[in-house]
Amino acid sequence: MFTQFFGNYLLRRQLVTPQQLSEALTIQKNTRLRLGVLAINAGLLTAEQVEKAHIEQQRTDKRIGDVMVEMNFLTREQVEELFKTQPAGHLLLGQALVDKGYMTNAGFESAINSYKAENSISDSDISNADEALAMKLISNFYKFDADIRSDYIRSYISMLFKNLIRFIGYDFAPLESVNSENIIRNVVMQDISGGMNMSTMIYGDDSVMVELASRFSGEALDDYDEYTQACVSEFLNLHNGLFAVNISNDKGVELQLEPQCCYETFDMVGLSRACVIPVNYSFGTVNFVIQL
Amino acid sequence: MKIMICDDSMFVRKKMKDAVNAADPGAQIIEAANGRQAVEKYKSEKPDLVFMDIIMPEKSGVDALSEIINFDKKARVVMASSVGTQENLKQAILAGAYDFLQKPIENEDVAKIISKAKED
Repeated sequence: MFTQFFGNYLLRRQLVTPQQLSEALTIQKNTRLRLGVLAINAGLLTAEQVEKAHIEQQRTDKRIGDVMVEMNFLTREQVEELFKTQPAGHLLLGQALVDKGYMTNAGFESAINSYKAENSISDSDISNADEALAMKLISNFYKFDADIRSDYIRSYISMLFKNLIRFIGYDFAPLESVNSENIIRNVVMQDISGGMNMSTMIYGDDSVMVELASRFSGEALDDYDEYTQACVSEFLNLHNGLFAVNISNDKGVELQLEPQCCYETFDMVGLSRACVIPVNYSFGTVNFVIQL
Repeated sequence: MKIMICDDSMFVRKKMKDAVNAADPGAQIIEAANGRQAVEKYKSEKPDLVFMDIIMPEKSGVDALSEIINFDKKARVVMASSVGTQENLKQAILAGAYDFLQKPIENEDVAKIISKAKED
């Protein structure tokens, strides 16, 4: 989830364009992490040292690890340790942006350090990647009030992003919460009752809903029809079910899900406390609504 | 084996059919889109095994299960839900469920249940 929020940070700071971010998020799974990015992330080298090593490597035609050892930038043990590092998503994103020429190593180093500092996030927070980090990222990003309602909304969003990564794909960046227009189109809705009452929705343009359904079902779908709606409905049902299990386990609150409904258009006027969470995928913006 | 799949989602019914066909290519499959249809079709078709969603319009899966068990005490009805809480499990067991299937449905889990039902 850190990768997705960091992606949004790059957008907000206009360090990359939405198209560049989408492209990098899409190709990052096939990206090989280079030693320089790993060393910068571990705080062992500066971007300047990495650039010097790369220039030296081109001159000598040796492996980059050997060059860094010969230049006394790293020890042999440090090189071996770095190669054992599991590639974190945000590093793969950074590498993809550098490989495409959209950012320099120095630009990436500066951006990641600024983002970590602004959000009081340490390297161990990122490597732990636990619920505490998810809550911190969500709280810093959405600025909800400190009340019970916001607690539930934060838990809902945390589960939503995990489920998007699990069932749809990690190539998204969350956008700031917005006030929805009054009339929304292509709406899939599910109410939740029991220990608390809430309404949840997904909506988006035809092509976005079709792609969302295609990714969830693993089928190539072309039209926004009854079957596509059924796919999106089931994603919402699945996500809400997992949220209900989480709330039952964490807070001892039992929730029941109601059958989903689909609307061609829906008037949001009656939902005064609705919170709209747009998420930007490479195929367009998917909107999630939580009314609590 | 005659197997009934009951879910209001045509997407889930398709996935379930694929899972059942993979586990038992010779199975005869009957479909129902809500709890009311499930009770009616159970009475007319007498399937050997039922996969029943819990959250459905018209009549919930748990209500349909109760009616089916009233009709046939030996009915084997597997309840499927995305909400795998202790409370839901308890309700399903009390109502006489044969087993519980947590969504998203995995083909392997469906195969295990079919295999168990064949041995029983």
